[in-house]
Amino acid sequence: MSASADDLQAAEWFAQARSAQRQPASEPAWLEWIEDDGHQRAYENCELAWELAAELRNTPRITALLAAADSLAAGRTASTFAARPKWRVPLRQIGLAASVVAVGAVAWLFLNRPATLEYATAVGEQHTVVLADGSSVLLNTDSLMRVEFSDHRRRIALLRGEALFSVSHDPSRPFEVRALQGVTTAVGTQFDVEITRAGAAVSVLEGTVTVGGAGIGTSAPAVAVAAGSGVGYSEDGGVSALRPAEVDRIQGWRTQRMVFNDIPLDTALTEYNRYTRTPIVLSDPALGSRHINGVFHIGDEAAFLSALDQGLHLKATRGDAQTVLQPQAGYHP
Amino acid sequence: MKHDPTQVSANPAEALFPLDMGGADSAEPIPADPSHRAYVTTLFNRHRISLQRYLMRLVSPEDAAELVQESYYRLLRHGEMVRVDAMARSFLFQTATNLARDHHRRRASHRASLHVPLEDEEIVQDHLGPDEQLAGEQVRALLERAIAALPQDTRTVFLLHRFRDLTYPQIAEVMSLSARTVARKMAEAIERLSAAMSEAT
Repeated sequence: MSASADDLQAAEWFAQARSAQRQPASEPAWLEWIEDDGHQRAYENCELAWELAAELRNTPRITALLAAADSLAAGRTASTFAARPKWRVPLRQIGLAASVVAVGAVAWLFLNRPATLEYATAVGEQHTVVLADGSSVLLNTDSLMRVEFSDHRRRIALLRGEALFSVSHDPSRPFEVRALQGVTTAVGTQFDVEITRAGAAVSVLEGTVTVGGAGIGTSAPAVAVAAGSGVGYSEDGGVSALRPAEVDRIQGWRTQRMVFNDIPLDTALTEYNRYTRTPIVLSDPALGSRHINGVFHIGDEAAFLSALDQGLHLKATRGDAQTVLQPQAGYHP
Repeated sequence: MKHDPTQVSANPAEALFPLDMGGADSAEPIPADPSHRAYVTTLFNRHRISLQRYLMRLVSPEDAAELVQESYYRLLRHGEMVRVDAMARSFLFQTATNLARDHHRRRASHRASLHVPLEDEEIVQDHLGPDEQLAGEQVRALLERAIAALPQDTRTVFLLHRFRDLTYPQIAEVMSLSARTVARKMAEAIERLSAAMSEAT
């Protein structure tokens, strides 16, 4: 099937609109073009393709193609860097031969004085950050992250909360995420780091990372963690055995859902309360051992409370600071 | 519903939105800036039929009509926007698509919360189920195949723009291409993928 002239024009207009440049000069031509019903239909197909493509982000096939695109881009970037201005070379030679003071100065030049940027989310908020190298970070609720990039390394400090990293492939600049005393290092992959009450948890969704200590006192060797696996580490440097990655929970939060797969109610509430300023608490801690199943939209308190009401016969009483759950009167399990 | 959703009017006069129409969530104050209001209304009158037809490919006709209105109120409340029509239209369609996505999710999570008996051994298998996808499996597969079938450079441009949020100049830099070539490859990618979408419906 060959494309019609309408389809070609629609694609060209669409691509132009996404160039992020104001094109006021072409405004009259656009307005005249889009008035036509056939043109509109052709343009709708472009919009549909663009919007639906977003849904494919995590399919195995698109994930693989995206990794290939990343490395293709990274490969070309590397060759671009190799052909950088020549003045760097003599400077480097001078640096090697020079005194300690001069080496310091040259190192400063080469490091490009990394820019430090901080990103934070409030309770209940999520935010995608696109980094200078094309990597993206999805920050979960109540999180704080510091980003420090230079020519040689990509450094992130996760100071609070949780983040999902989709790392652009760049072997010359490892991507390091420091959380508490541990560092997770990747070249190009997707992984999640969460600071929990007990320490930090790393889950790898794509590729492989290494998890090791950053503190001088930490001597545990780095652990390689492949896709589908995860590890936890405590603040004193103890690293857990490999365990399955928390795929369901992560795929859930990145799409604003909480997935509770037959887990104790108190665990579910801890997760639920990460996203709200008015936590839900139990009138009796013993209720916390009951199990809960379900998928809930983050922030949809009504649906969550109604499920608890219908399924576990727990009645919610809303207060200013918190919501208290207690067994329904007359209901004895 | 205030409109008959199956009848997409071709008469722009019928597409006019009365400004005082109460929306589903019109409780939130709408910014008073009259010039923004006027711009959004003009934008809507120009693209409303197209938007509704587009949404009807994602949700039921009744829901499409409702989401068209909701999109209008979203944009009214959004405050200042770029007043270049093609870009404003992109923003409008993106907003509407996000609302459609939320709509699917809400329905899926609502159903999960109603149907999944808590304290039951039943394991929730459908939490990534088809109901919260914007499009059916066939359309998704068609689009995925079309992306895979793009020529390598064209596909790389598309993927970096779509999923890595790189701008054309950024893509031009990492791929050592001219910005004009990047725009051309984007148009090529969109043309092929839109052909897959027209096949799909």
